[in-house]
Amino acid sequence: MSDLATPKPAAAPALPRAWPRRFILWGLALAALAYLPVLLTERMIFGIYLSNMTLLNLGLSQVNLMLIAMLGALSLNYLTGCAGLISIGHAAFYATGAMSAAVIGTQLGLPFPLVLIGSALAGAVMGVVAGLPSLRVQGLYFVLSTMAVHYLVAYVFLEYQFRVFDVVGVPFGTPSLFGFELSTPMRWYFFLLALVALVYAGLSNSLRSREGRALLAMRDHERAATSLGVDVRILRIKAFGLTSAIAAVAGTLYAHYLSNATSESFGITFAIQFIAMIIIGGMGSLKGSLIGAALWLLLPSIITGFAAGFGGGSGIVGSMLGEHRAQFVQLIFGLLVVALLIYAPGGLVSIGPKVRALLGRWRKG
Amino acid sequence: MLGQVLFSGLALGSIYGLVALGFVVILKATDVFNFAQGMFVVCGAYLAVTALSLLGLPFPLAILFIILGAALMGMGVHAALIRPLSGRPILSIIMVTIALSIVMRAGIEILYGPAGRTLSTPLPSGGFLFAGLRISQLHLTAAAVSWLCMLAFGLFFRFTSVGLLMRAAADSHEAATIAGVKVDAMNRLAWAIGFTLAAIGGLFLGQLQIVSTELETIGLLALPAVVIGGMQSIPGAILGGLLVGVIEQLASTYISPKSADVMIYALLLVILLVRPWGLLGQKAINRV
Amino acid sequence: MASLLEVDGISASYGRMGLALDRVSLTVEAGSIVAILGANGAGKTTLIRAISGLLRLHGGAVASGRTLLDGQDVTRFSPDRIVRLGVAQAPEGRMVFKTLSVEDNLAVGAASLPRARRGERMDAIYHLFPRLAERRGQAAGLMSGGEQQMLAVGRALAAAPRLMLIDELSLGLAPLIVKAIYERLGEVVATFGTAILVVEQSARIALRYCDRAYVLEGGRVALSGTAGELSSDERMRDLYLGAAAGH
Ligand SMILES: Nc1ncnc2c1ncn2[C@@H]1O[C@H](COP(=O)(O)OP(=O)(O)OP(=O)(O)O)[C@@H](O)[C@H]1O
Ligand SMILES: [Mg+2]
Repeated sequence: MSDLATPKPAAAPALPRAWPRRFILWGLALAALAYLPVLLTERMIFGIYLSNMTLLNLGLSQVNLMLIAMLGALSLNYLTGCAGLISIGHAAFYATGAMSAAVIGTQLGLPFPLVLIGSALAGAVMGVVAGLPSLRVQGLYFVLSTMAVHYLVAYVFLEYQFRVFDVVGVPFGTPSLFGFELSTPMRWYFFLLALVALVYAGLSNSLRSREGRALLAMRDHERAATSLGVDVRILRIKAFGLTSAIAAVAGTLYAHYLSNATSESFGITFAIQFIAMIIIGGMGSLKGSLIGAALWLLLPSIITGFAAGFGGGSGIVGSMLGEHRAQFVQLIFGLLVVALLIYAPGGLVSIGPKVRALLGRWRKG
Repeated sequence: MLGQVLFSGLALGSIYGLVALGFVVILKATDVFNFAQGMFVVCGAYLAVTALSLLGLPFPLAILFIILGAALMGMGVHAALIRPLSGRPILSIIMVTIALSIVMRAGIEILYGPAGRTLSTPLPSGGFLFAGLRISQLHLTAAAVSWLCMLAFGLFFRFTSVGLLMRAAADSHEAATIAGVKVDAMNRLAWAIGFTLAAIGGLFLGQLQIVSTELETIGLLALPAVVIGGMQSIPGAILGGLLVGVIEQLASTYISPKSADVMIYALLLVILLVRPWGLLGQKAINRV
Repeated sequence: MASLLEVDGISASYGRMGLALDRVSLTVEAGSIVAILGANGAGKTTLIRAISGLLRLHGGAVASGRTLLDGQDVTRFSPDRIVRLGVAQAPEGRMVFKTLSVEDNLAVGAASLPRARRGERMDAIYHLFPRLAERRGQAAGLMSGGEQQMLAVGRALAAAPRLMLIDELSLGLAPLIVKAIYERLGEVVATFGTAILVVEQSARIALRYCDRAYVLEGGRVALSGTAGELSSDERMRDLYLGAAAGH
């Protein structure tokens, strides 16, 4: 508030120098993002061949799945970190998206843009329904109601899968956006990148709006927001609808990317991993959601890649790592979450400034 | 048919009631809604595997091993995770118990391998016919022991002076501290008891099924049981456990095995909307 | 011989805020009733917390100074240890165990006594406060404010303390009840030799029932003396007794 009110004379001379630098940085970042898929597909840079190890054992598919997860993490962080509504039902909205995509796309054969719109709408409706208990119960009770919603949706998905399809799961075709076929990881990459940027910009804009600020105020003090003259309860349900729509779209994309979904794809652990992502990245920080999702999706292959790199089967640690990769990844993430909750409840984004302050003091002192 | 279903529902429900009781003890003492309770059940089953199959202890010693091991782990969890986070927002507390269950699951799968194990104990495992019902002795023993444990806890909580101090600490940490109660020790004790009750449940569930980390899902049925019964209520937890057991058996027999969860959670949702304080909970007495 | 309680230059604060107590010293002799007076925010409750080891629970800490109990330094003892040394408390806001019965509330207080003495002690309290005896099975949260105050005092007495700390005894109570409780406390002092340190809003009441009083202002002791001395003190009359008379 006071930032806006007080004039900043010092900023004026700084502008001409700051602007080009920012442009250059943005340009470099964009170039890097554009070049990344080429790098990961061709696996060479400036004519030098890169080993799996140098590329941290990463492939473009993992990056794409990370981008999809970012959509989920962004929406959940908006809901939980910004609007203050804790939800264990995020997998249910993914499932809702996948299911409506199956009806609209796989069964009715309608074009992909319609599939996207349809699943967003279905997600929004589902989110509003799941948000309704917030009118009546709060805190832990609300968390449990989202958990109940999860089991209800999971059951519907199960029934749907087995009545219409079979054990193998619900199949999804190759989506095509106005002639642009999402047939290669490279194409997916650019499409998803644009979508993540769009959702990020949209959500951070919405946080700056009057309603967004009321949401933040309400998270901190319910009374404060009520006195702003906003109906907090309606806002909450709106937030639930919005974020569920995003999650449903993410679910649709996830199902299409894997070209198949089963009732097991969207279990309660699937929902929990999004909570873990936003805790790791930083509760209430949209940037944190991106960091959390990136870590969650990329770290496992980096860890297992290193395990394989270090002589594979030699030594007890190597063999244990080799045998129980998935478990070690889980163990590390679980411990990371615990450590962050205890020592840095603001997540990784909150550590950055602290480290910088420490470094600053160290340089001066 | 119905009688048979009700029998196994009530027997399993007794175990759920026991696990749910452990859950409520923890909730009352430290206000922690423990999503790791399911993994505590798994831990109990693996403690049993360790004592009986790996160490080859005689049965009474094995029981002692399970109880002591579970109590120690409960205290450890409280000291390492719960105490440092006391006073933090609800999401942090929920999430730390979820993270704990992730860590425990991974740890168990690394130590014991992801494959399930069978657990054999000297408990009677045959069956007999009674009033037209096939009564499994194992179910019967499990139910009887569960009720015995619940009764023992009830007596301890209601009539001993340590039980009194635990109730005082659960009522208000601050008031208890002022009155000279060692609140921290009481909370640690609550976690030890909560873990132990879950572990005893795990001993039976592991034997009725196969010991694997999949038992967690069954242990987690304590959550809806507790909410249905009434969050802060001890009799409520037991009633909720019984109800969950019966609903589960009815749904899987008459509808389909996969519908059991959804029936339980549908009831949970209804309870949350209509009577959030649960069947036996009190509306507001300790919220004043 | 050392006094029962000697507070020696205690300074305390909550977090980074300024000092809530600034070098406060006071003494309580065995068998006496001492009052602490002062305006809202003067630091009375903080002083009680400092003595009973409860500051840490509220995010505060003793910065310097000592509290001595019979000459023993108890400044950094845990609250339960201080209770077991014979210092019991009826806190600000009563803080009875709302879900427990009256009997259980008293039993928690008596839990630090050897088992054999508990029953007799509870009987003594029921004798002092017959109202509590009538309601022994009732949940404490359902009692009236005055009854809860009796219960809070009773719970502290149940520990058979050598020193009782009472924060805001008369707050929200009818004058008759205040009188009754003070008379009971007089009996306790007479029969058991218990000493009482009581926080009072009302100087009038304090000077009527107490032997000595200390007046806190902004965390410092502004005035102190026997009840007789303070009653005739001019500053006391202007600031406190005069104001009280205005009610
Ligand atoms: N838990 C706390 N955290 C931070 N500051 C506190 C805390 N408790 C008290 N204070 C501050 O310390 C100062 C002294 O408070 P204290 O409660 O001791 O006053 P008091 O004399 O008991 O007042 P009252 O008559 O209103 O009970 C006040 O300025 C108060 O704001
Ligand atoms: Mg006070």
